[in-house]
Amino acid sequence: MRIITHTCDSCGTVVAANELEANRVMKCPGLVCDSVLRFEDLPDDDREFFVDHADQYEL
Amino acid sequence: MKGILLSGGTGSRLRPITHTGPKQLVPVANKPVLEYAIEDLKEAGVTEIGVILGNKGREEIQKLLGDGSKYGVDITYIVQGNPLGLAHAAGCARDFVGDDDFVMFLGDNILKQGIGDLVASFEAGDYGAGIALQEVDDPQAFGIADVDNHGNVTQLIEKPDDPPTNLALIGIYVFSNAVFDVIERLEPSWRGELEITDAIQTHLEDGHAIDSHVVEGWWKDTGKPEDILEANRLVLEDKRLSREGTVESGATVEGRVELHEAATIEADATVRGPVSIAADSVVKSGTYVGPYTSVGANSTLDGVHMENSVVIGDSTIETSGKVVDSLLGRGANIGSAENQLPEGRRLVVGENSQLKL
Repeated sequence: MRIITHTCDSCGTVVAANELEANRVMKCPGLVCDSVLRFEDLPDDDREFFVDHADQYEL
Repeated sequence: MKGILLSGGTGSRLRPITHTGPKQLVPVANKPVLEYAIEDLKEAGVTEIGVILGNKGREEIQKLLGDGSKYGVDITYIVQGNPLGLAHAAGCARDFVGDDDFVMFLGDNILKQGIGDLVASFEAGDYGAGIALQEVDDPQAFGIADVDNHGNVTQLIEKPDDPPTNLALIGIYVFSNAVFDVIERLEPSWRGELEITDAIQTHLEDGHAIDSHVVEGWWKDTGKPEDILEANRLVLEDKRLSREGTVESGATVEGRVELHEAATIEADATVRGPVSIAADSVVKSGTYVGPYTSVGANSTLDGVHMENSVVIGDSTIETSGKVVDSLLGRGANIGSAENQLPEGRRLVVGENSQLKL
């Protein structure tokens, strides 16, 4: 199973794609980090794969 | 070597305690379970730790651990979100781990021995993974490993009807970096999760040697209330307890008692260790606190007879009744119904609470 994550450039906090997709736009959950993370930050092929296989990333 | 500390999960077996906080923060001997894991990792020389966060209790965990500096470690947070399995959690840590090997530690596990021997054994050979095992009485209830004479794992079986050994996987693993490629090849199990046992089994079938280390001493998965009580008993049994608080003249204090410098045992109270009493807590006159009890911060015990129990904190217990084998959530209070009519117990009980009256 392809595991898709995004790493915040500012603080190194890692966020799984399911979390990014659920929020679309979110404040970085890292400590004292003001960065904004977006599902669109993921590469095109990762986003496309995630959307095509969304059922894999849900319980 | 890096560390991955799993701190997600719903904690459903610990309800109602986990309605208001993550299971990894439930205290054992007045210290959150998660802190024992951080200490074990540090003791094994692992100071770069990725803490996996689920959907629940993230802020509380981050508030406790911070950046890790108070423990002498460096913490990076990894948000897994949906609980898609232990192998998925490990996979989410791939960027954090980089080219290193890593230890994976379930944050609600607590063990006497630490993980130094497991890590050293893994590093001494050319292994794809190392797994911690412990002998259990009921192997049918666990993931079981079969091992050869050299301690190398030959197969893993989940809850076998006819177990080849009684060596159970206890939720602490060491992995080489190669496991990430294995995880990418896994498919979700029948329950929709990427299983870590599938990752190890596939790793094995790929030709990687899997080391095993049988953990001596006790180990507890603190997933249920009775497990918290047992872990509390085991830790209090072993822990060095220091008595720094106020013991008033006329109080009886026997055995090993940990008393925070800001805690008080009043005259005519009896405390019989091993017991731990945290800051700003008071054991009032006429109260008995017996062995294997931990009283969390900012609590008052007045008149109660209490044994083998955990009071998480911020509680007032004013009753002449006997409270045993109990786990009281934060802010839970017990009063007295004496002299009230009609006679009977008066309860305000939350969802999933368990009472034996």
